[in-house]
Amino acid sequence: MLLALDTSTEWASVALFDGRDVLGEETWRAQRRHGDELFGAIERLLLSTRTALASVDRIAVATGPGSFTGLRVAIAAGQGIARGSGASLVGISTLDVLAYPHAPSKLRTCPLLPAGRDQYYAAFYQERNRKWQRRSPFIVATLPELSRQIGTHTLFVGELDAEVETTLRDLLGPNAIFASPASRMRRAGYLAELGWKELESTKQVKMAEIEPLYVRQPSIRVSFDQPFAPPPTDERALGLPKRS
Amino acid sequence: MHQDTGGIVPEVAAREHLRAIDALTEKALGDAGCQLTEIDAIAATVGPGLIGCLLVGANYARGLALSAGLPFVGVNHLEGHVYANWLEEREATPEPELPAVVLVVSGAHSDLVLMEAHRRFRPLGRTIDDAAGEAFDKVARLLHLGFPGGPIIERVAKAGDPKAFPLPRAAVADRFDFSFSGLKTAVLRLVRELEKKGEVPVADVAASFQKAITEMLAEKTARAAAEHAVQTVLLGGGVAANLALREEIARRIGHPLRVPSPALCTDNGAMIGAAAFFALRHRGTEIPVAVRSDLKLA
Ligand SMILES: [Zn+2]
Repeated sequence: MLLALDTSTEWASVALFDGRDVLGEETWRAQRRHGDELFGAIERLLLSTRTALASVDRIAVATGPGSFTGLRVAIAAGQGIARGSGASLVGISTLDVLAYPHAPSKLRTCPLLPAGRDQYYAAFYQERNRKWQRRSPFIVATLPELSRQIGTHTLFVGELDAEVETTLRDLLGPNAIFASPASRMRRAGYLAELGWKELESTKQVKMAEIEPLYVRQPSIRVSFDQPFAPPPTDERALGLPKRS
Repeated sequence: MHQDTGGIVPEVAAREHLRAIDALTEKALGDAGCQLTEIDAIAATVGPGLIGCLLVGANYARGLALSAGLPFVGVNHLEGHVYANWLEEREATPEPELPAVVLVVSGAHSDLVLMEAHRRFRPLGRTIDDAAGEAFDKVARLLHLGFPGGPIIERVAKAGDPKAFPLPRAAVADRFDFSFSGLKTAVLRLVRELEKKGEVPVADVAASFQKAITEMLAEKTARAAAEHAVQTVLLGGGVAANLALREEIARRIGHPLRVPSPALCTDNGAMIGAAAFFALRHRGTEIPVAVRSDLKLA
């Protein structure tokens, strides 16, 4: 059984996944109250699905990019649960979670999350040789900066309010496609699926290595030279933690 | 790490806490030769403090408690400083006798509290500007002595004359509140003047400053103890490790004075454990769970 925890932005989500199906999920607008509300949500989820925490042997947490303080709530909670139960723990990028449900669309997909000061966290995902993958590093940029790199139809998902949608339409015209508001939200069920897959293929890393993606500003330079190239092998250069 | 920045950068601190917390927990269990199954409860600080740091500790601890099937005890950090006085047994009286007046002085706090009984606190006064430890830090920086200021000032002051420079003792409207910003400004002005004349007698300035600040703290602590008919005076917090402060307070009170050993004066996990122990033993009052950066002593 896998427990998925996501407190990346003012939206939070938790889910239970048995390897095939999502057994239960709760997604709510926590704003800044993740720290107070996460454990209530976990306990409700366990109760409503009649699951004992002892049967949870895998935990997936969203690692951002997003609000650093918010991200650390679920990561710390996940580490604590894993330490107490012996469950294996995995971190999955929040942008990966947002893009993942749109893989069947075959559209180039760009999840956006507010990064403050008119900037957004973004990354580009696309299927190539039948493989759906992130094709860019994680980016921090304003919408005009981001739009300069977009030459083709792109599906936008994530936390886009009406104003963002209008701006992107003005900047990109028909190249900007928008997923419906409900389908572009982040849900921990998808995080659970990705986390399960990741744990099937990788072995447990040290818990301390699971931490927020502290995306730094300069990463935009690196990404815009080769906007859709595969990420460089040394992800440290982009402010991302090493994969092991 | 905080020496490099001359203080604590909240985001940096929160990052490092998350990197360290699991390994520290594992080490603590290992050092104690203890399995998680032998533990009765998990405690963590829920305030006051830096919100990003509090959230890391509290959520890790709640996760640990939930998965180990143990109660989670949220602890007020200030209560931890008070209960540091219960960590060591002294020969005559194993435990401090109550009621007590408690002075908690650190880089973040200067609180004067009446402890009526276990877990029953009445705030008497607090700083209206800087914390006492902050004043030490700022004066140490002014004298180019480094960070943290408390221990350095204390060491340097030993070679100085505390009567070298008269410095003001602030008058505060509320009887038990503290104010250190006037003193800090006076030291700044003094140092600038001395710089103009030539070499600054660092030891004399440090000694004069230490004398002034310890007198301000000791005077109100002694008055609170006299007015509230307490059994004991307790100190806590990093500044309580300062020997001059202990002596100044001891000189002015007719009560037994208890101060934790220096390692238990500064922030530590053991004091949070001690506070949680008494929270579970004296369950009359509510045990907090939610994290609050501005949590007060109830
Ligand atoms: Zn403290």
